[in-house]
Amino acid sequence: MFEWIFNGKKLRENGVLGMNDRNYSVIAKYNKRSLYTLVDDKVKTKRLANSININTPKMIGIIEFQYQVKNLLDIVKGYDTFVIKPAHGSGGKGVLVIKKYDAEHFYSASGDVLSFKDVYQHVSNTLSGLFSLGGKYDVALIEEAVNFSDVFKNFSYHGVPDVRVIVYKGFPAMVMMRLATKESGGRANLHQGAVGVGLDVSTGLPLNAVMHNKPIFEHPDTKANLMDLRVPFWREHLIIGSLAYDMTGLGYLGADIVLDENRGPMMLEVNARPGLAIQIANGKGLKTRLQEIDEKYPLGLSAEERVDFVLNQGK
Amino acid sequence: MKLNLTRFFTVRKVLSLLLICAIAYSTYSIYYKVKYWGFSLSPKAVTDVWTVDAKISFRALGGDVKVSLAVPNDRDGFKILSEEIVAKGYKITQDKINSRVVLEGKDKTGKQNLYYRLSIYDDAQNVALNSLLPAKINRPILSEEETIQMRKIWELSELQKGDKIQKAILAINQEVNNPTMSLILPLDHTAKEFAEKVIQVLAYKRIPARIARTIKLEEGRKTEKPDIMLEAYYDGHWTLYDLNTAKIGLPKNWVIIQRGGVSLLDVKGGEDSTVVFSVLKSVASPLKMAEHRAKAHDELWSYNYSMYTLPVFEQNTLKWLMIFPLAILVVVIMRNVVGVSTMGTFTPMLLAMALVRTGFWPGLICFSVMIALGLVMRALVAKLNLLLVPRISFVVIFVILLIQVLTVVGYRLNYTIVSSAIFFPIIITAWIIERASITWEEEGAVNTLKEILFTFITAVVTYFVISNEYVRHVMFAFNELNLVILFVVMLLGTYTGYRVTELMRFAPLIHKEN
Repeated sequence: MFEWIFNGKKLRENGVLGMNDRNYSVIAKYNKRSLYTLVDDKVKTKRLANSININTPKMIGIIEFQYQVKNLLDIVKGYDTFVIKPAHGSGGKGVLVIKKYDAEHFYSASGDVLSFKDVYQHVSNTLSGLFSLGGKYDVALIEEAVNFSDVFKNFSYHGVPDVRVIVYKGFPAMVMMRLATKESGGRANLHQGAVGVGLDVSTGLPLNAVMHNKPIFEHPDTKANLMDLRVPFWREHLIIGSLAYDMTGLGYLGADIVLDENRGPMMLEVNARPGLAIQIANGKGLKTRLQEIDEKYPLGLSAEERVDFVLNQGK
Repeated sequence: MKLNLTRFFTVRKVLSLLLICAIAYSTYSIYYKVKYWGFSLSPKAVTDVWTVDAKISFRALGGDVKVSLAVPNDRDGFKILSEEIVAKGYKITQDKINSRVVLEGKDKTGKQNLYYRLSIYDDAQNVALNSLLPAKINRPILSEEETIQMRKIWELSELQKGDKIQKAILAINQEVNNPTMSLILPLDHTAKEFAEKVIQVLAYKRIPARIARTIKLEEGRKTEKPDIMLEAYYDGHWTLYDLNTAKIGLPKNWVIIQRGGVSLLDVKGGEDSTVVFSVLKSVASPLKMAEHRAKAHDELWSYNYSMYTLPVFEQNTLKWLMIFPLAILVVVIMRNVVGVSTMGTFTPMLLAMALVRTGFWPGLICFSVMIALGLVMRALVAKLNLLLVPRISFVVIFVILLIQVLTVVGYRLNYTIVSSAIFFPIIITAWIIERASITWEEEGAVNTLKEILFTFITAVVTYFVISNEYVRHVMFAFNELNLVILFVVMLLGTYTGYRVTELMRFAPLIHKEN
């Protein structure tokens, strides 16, 4: 029952990166603290991304002060759908997706019908820092909703499937796709019960899939075979990840990318402290991969050249 | 070159070096405190303090009275805690040179009782013998007959065992009833007369000797007279001998109260004088004795700059503070080595501190109830959709009111479990409630309960470490250990190994490969 106590040596042999090692040997070394603000503030990230032509959902407006909240309907005028996000949120907290609305009724993506008062309250909460890191006063970002591509329809229950690319020194190092389940409440967070599918970084083909840290082969709700998962625009996904490095200067980052039906892959957010669950989804240790990049990958390439280098490794 | 240097001075190596220094310093400091200040590693260690009371009684003859009592002296290596003289209407003079207390009274008549009280501590029986060289002594002037007896005794002593002095003492003891010996010592001799005879016999061989008055330290003992023993200067040092058995050294729990042949008590202007000694044992904590010990060892300077000289209130505060680093270490280990996630970094530590004050079960039960009530209340308020700061403020005020009600009710009904509510940190309690309720909404009950459970487990582990009497004593008495903890914590900041929980979390990655 307790044989896992002796796992340390094998994990080391398999090149599994632990939390302490990640914090001490990777993040503290390659992620300068001053760069964090670039990714902690989604408005800043979005502007930065747009400046180097990374696709992101279009920004509709910002609500900074309480008195502006009542103008919400004016701000979203002309848009059929919109998303309210806390600029300093994390892990999908406080994200409200409105699929359809009129003056009084707001239909959220998770199926709730909200009144204007409810939405007003949500924005107020966002401003007062309910969803932000450390409870600091925040700004509500209002952007266009993503038109999710149908290709993943069978692989996700409600919510939004996204691709998480771990980028190390500008090279895509490990990738997984996160699929919402009934249990995860439509969210793509693994610890809430979403499915993680590890994808081979150079081919984009599924390697392994887990839910609650245990291997699975089909989606628990849609019953789709997870090994049939194919991600279109694979190279473009990786390029967005790679550009995130150029954009932020973070040596170790996680880029969350979604696929829009019309506009292709779009970057949703960048994380300066991406988690380690991706290793379980891939069935591979990340440390081995980082060492490989340290030792064998060339310096001084552009984002596209780096991606092509990675893609060539699979051939 | 620069590269080599940075490789040589890695953070870990520098910290390890500092840790070794801290350990070395602490070891020395602990040794120093134990040796010179008498600190003990055990909180239960006590120092025996013996209070020797001398009651001087005599009948004054109606005129001026002068009483002189031989007393122990610091110079003799006595570890004297306190000296006290109760003599109403007498002028008290301490004659340090001759080690006497002189009491002078005018126009005294009738029965007089004077008291001299002395507290001694630490290996009282092991008092360093006076290392002063004896004055050169001359052979006593003896009659021819006495000379013959002297020679005879020294001859007889050759048949006895032991060193030269032991032999002489045994010989005199054996021959004391011998008719030839009775000439030098009367049959009904006192111990003092016997001792003086031995001194005389030793003087014949030019061996300096003197009387030592000793008493046995025994709870509630009353002796009219101290026992007399003999100190002889032989082979370059003073040695103490028992006059009956010739055994060397002071028996356990005996103490020398006076040395030299001078009288124990002199009373001028009075008659029927007696001095009665009584002994009382008490105990004191080594911490309280530290100052006296430091003084005795001439190490007072260091003691004066330690925290043990502070007023009691400050000391108690520091004693409380000195346990914090250890609690912090526990939290660091639980989080970075074991890998449990808790609500707030030091929340478990503050909880543990509160548990120390409330007692384990009462505190744990009371706190759980507070959290549960708070969560219910918070769930009700969630429907009102208040803004963040007012909502947290509501929880804080609710917790304050809850504490007030529980404390009053607990006090009235005499339930300590209920009234222990007052010791819990208000803001921490409120934040746990707030965070738990948000986690509950966002990540579900299971994750919330897990997080609360981990917070409690960490708090309980911390509690058991810091509530241990030994640990608290050691961390206060040997506070330099906090320096060791400091560097251990910093070294843990460079720990890159797996956390215990990760061994389980990443287990799927092993089966995959094999």
